[in-house]
Amino acid sequence: MNSKAFRRSGQPLARDTRDTCFLLAIIAAVVLPHLDHLPPWASAITGLVLGWRAWLAWRGQALPGRWALVGVLLVTAALTWLSHRTLLGREAGITMLVMLMALKTLELRARRDAFVVFFLGFFLVLTNFFYSQSLLTALWMLASVWALLSALVLAQMPVGQPSLRLAATQAARTTAWGLPVMVLLFLLFPRIAPLWGLPSDAVGRTGLSNTLDFGAMAEIANDDTIAMRLRFEGPVPPPEARYFRGPVLGQFNGRSWRPAVMSFPGRSDALQVSGPALRYELTLEPQRISVLPLLEMSGEQAGTMRQVESLRLSRAGELQWQAGRPITERLRLDASAYLSYRHGPQQNSLVLQNYLDLPPGLNPRSLQWAADLRRQSRFAGLEEAQLTPLLVEAVLQHIRTADFSYTLAPGRYGESTPHLIDEFWLDRRLGFCEHFSAAMVVVLRAMGVPARIVTGFQGMDNLPQDGYWIVRNSNAHAWVEYWLPGRGWLRADPTAAVAPERVMQGQALRPAPSVLAGVLGQINPTLWLNLRRSWEALNNRWQQQVLNYSRQNQFDLLKQLGVSQPDWTALGQLSAAVIASLGLFGAAWSLWQRHRPQDAWSRQRGQVLRELQALGLREAAPHQSPGAWAQLLQERFGEAAEPAARLLREQEAARYGRSASAQPPRWRERRRWLAAFRAACRPCRS
Amino acid sequence: MVWNPVQLLRRRAQAWWLARHRRSDTLVLSQRNLYILPSRPGLFFCATLLVLLLASINEQLSLGYLLTFLLGGAGLASMHSTHSNLQGLSLDLKPPAPVFAGDDVQLDLRLHNDGAASYGVGLQVKESMPGGDLDRVAWTDVPAGGHAPLQLRFASAQRGLHELPELQVLSRFPLGLFRAWSVWRPAAQVWVYPRPEVNPPPFPVHAGAGEGQAQPSRLRQAGLELDGVRAYQRGDSMRQVLWKKAALSLDSGVQGAPLWVRDSQAQAAQELWLDWQDTAGQPDTERRLSRLCAWLLAAEALQRPYGLRLDGQEWPPELGPGHQELCLQALARHGLPPARQAADRNP
Repeated sequence: MNSKAFRRSGQPLARDTRDTCFLLAIIAAVVLPHLDHLPPWASAITGLVLGWRAWLAWRGQALPGRWALVGVLLVTAALTWLSHRTLLGREAGITMLVMLMALKTLELRARRDAFVVFFLGFFLVLTNFFYSQSLLTALWMLASVWALLSALVLAQMPVGQPSLRLAATQAARTTAWGLPVMVLLFLLFPRIAPLWGLPSDAVGRTGLSNTLDFGAMAEIANDDTIAMRLRFEGPVPPPEARYFRGPVLGQFNGRSWRPAVMSFPGRSDALQVSGPALRYELTLEPQRISVLPLLEMSGEQAGTMRQVESLRLSRAGELQWQAGRPITERLRLDASAYLSYRHGPQQNSLVLQNYLDLPPGLNPRSLQWAADLRRQSRFAGLEEAQLTPLLVEAVLQHIRTADFSYTLAPGRYGESTPHLIDEFWLDRRLGFCEHFSAAMVVVLRAMGVPARIVTGFQGMDNLPQDGYWIVRNSNAHAWVEYWLPGRGWLRADPTAAVAPERVMQGQALRPAPSVLAGVLGQINPTLWLNLRRSWEALNNRWQQQVLNYSRQNQFDLLKQLGVSQPDWTALGQLSAAVIASLGLFGAAWSLWQRHRPQDAWSRQRGQVLRELQALGLREAAPHQSPGAWAQLLQERFGEAAEPAARLLREQEAARYGRSASAQPPRWRERRRWLAAFRAACRPCRS
Repeated sequence: MVWNPVQLLRRRAQAWWLARHRRSDTLVLSQRNLYILPSRPGLFFCATLLVLLLASINEQLSLGYLLTFLLGGAGLASMHSTHSNLQGLSLDLKPPAPVFAGDDVQLDLRLHNDGAASYGVGLQVKESMPGGDLDRVAWTDVPAGGHAPLQLRFASAQRGLHELPELQVLSRFPLGLFRAWSVWRPAAQVWVYPRPEVNPPPFPVHAGAGEGQAQPSRLRQAGLELDGVRAYQRGDSMRQVLWKKAALSLDSGVQGAPLWVRDSQAQAAQELWLDWQDTAGQPDTERRLSRLCAWLLAAEALQRPYGLRLDGQEWPPELGPGHQELCLQALARHGLPPARQAADRNP
């Protein structure tokens, strides 16, 4: 690897080349998972630099000068700025980190440079976890860390040409000795909340957010990562009831939807629930929004406060659970839901005016369309309470019968017109849940029906894994609530009208399966299904037991250890006790080691000598050979000592004879020999 | 004398340090004389771990915690690995051969290992002798249950009998995050002879030295011409035996062939006295010693018995390595205080 350090001790170039190429391969392996989200130019430069460096090492040519590197670094910084519009956010930071790492390989001059590469490498490994913490990622990164440590070991072996295998063994041994420390720290290190706010660095993927920009995304990628896991104590809600209430968006400015600012002050939505409660346990992955999506409808009234670990939740006026800050940690909580409920004002009130607002002057054709529908003769003269359901049904019927298509790649809206809803509702008619919901709310409002968008999750995986029902980020959804006099807010899902399977099966459109999966699925569907299931079950266990290990688990562990009131103090005391006992053990071990001969031969001699002295052979001395001891044995005990004496003579031959081996016997052989010797001594005892 | 607490403390610390590391030609590395501290990369590693931990906390990454603690555990374990990489090694030193001032002193060391293999064991001269600085680390691996030779060189500067400089045994294996080291103060001393003058003048001629004439022509032919060869007699010096000839006759299968020796009888007559006074033409002591040294070496090479008169002492004319050594040592010692009795030597 580092040329100077090795050239100093006169190493052949071959080793240099090999070590450099090994290090480059490791860096490539660490960067590989990043290719997915790096800008294309960054991937290209990284590949080029690593390849060039390998070529230089192969040809034994000089590294480029420092100024050339500074130039390239400035160019990459400029490109990063162009790609991300910042140098500080997470994405930009990772891009810069990868570039720095690649360029640093061109500057391996001194020992210090090599260490910089190693430490950057460890950090790069960590950044992979921002995107995925799956079992596969973990295994890949474990291999990468192992390789990095092996390269580190190689760098400390300046003599000769040590094999990679030897370095890898040494690295593995050191790491294995460190494993208990790792496990203890992982179990006992206090899990605390994030220390400072996160940069709001939006990663474009499906999931929840606090605002909704109509038609801003030409295409959304299905993000199959897990958003929540649920375990139901009793029955599981039917597919059509699997709605998880997230942010409620009531204010529209023609482009984006935001939570309604109550310009007409009003009371919070009242809630009445009936029927049995569905109890469930929920594990929420970090969402980076400040609303906790719970199954509709949990029974607490608006204004209720709830404390989950360090997170303070309160139920907002629109019945979503609002957290004081973005939920950046994994949460586990128990909740309950009632499938039959009523909420919202029963009679018309001023607060409903908030949900009739439309941006003035926009979408005239849709408003006209709504007015035409409203004017149809069948709606004439109806009471509002009877009219509203008919209007809603008419709109849904229109969605069903007109040529609307549900797609995840509808293209961008509003490129050429400010009338986004018109463009969708009357012209292109391509969209996914947020398009349908937004358009329906606009149309309903135009007809005088108070309406709002509710976002959240809808649906779960078809089958539970290990008893857990999985809600994925691709289950993110948007639907409509409209107000009906005497009944309150009611849910309507226009997506169900255009793509019923999206709601009934709880599945978004699936991306095409990979080639391997396709072939396997063709050949043996059952095998493929079983493989997938057990893999997902394994993944789930990994999630539950390793990734979801939280403060709660720490306290549970303390409880199992017999601490009646688990808290931080108890955790600290336990840690202190573990550290103290480990220290004592270490001291005792080294004391014992000090008085123990280092080599196997001496240890064995000591054991034999103790055995002989137990037989009463006081004259046996440490400086004598096994042959001499054999003679002493025979003089004292005669015939009875023959087997033991023979063993001793054999040992002498094995140690000092013609075919003696330089390697001392292994621990197991020594033990076996000692047992045989003790057995042979038995006749002398009687 | 002013009582100075800092000085006193320093002297006490120095004494304690010297008592801990008595001069000895063997060294067994054990817990008592091994030291270990984080290296500079080790400190940077700690900083890296801290950053990793902060990132894991802020992003709530379980795998980040795992990675941080895995590396932390490995780092901690590497402390023990580094320590035990040196622990149990024993080192010994062959008495170093004398050198002429300005040449490198070569130390031949052996490292023995009773336990598992040790890798990347380095030795360096810690504080070189006055004037010399060759601060280089010589690296070696010591196989399990075996030994490894190692050579260290450092420049000698002044003539005299010198204590060997302090040596340092060190290792950073396996991860380089810790540096374990021990200090070794060898008991052996090394003779540094005066540097022989290049192109010295002819041997001095003394009145009354008999027929022994200085023969410049002979000096130039040094080592080329032998005065004669005769059969071995009891009492002949081993150096005079013609070993090459003996080996040849053995090879050709001749049994009981006599050993041949160089006949130095002819030279015995040309007795040579080298006297401090003969070098009076030289400007300073060192150059005078250099000239004497060069003469001495030339006489030995020519097999001409030579005597030395220096500091009122006399070494009568003789030949042979023992005599040469005595004379060279006398030159090296000249004008220097008698060698300090090392009080901190191991018996």
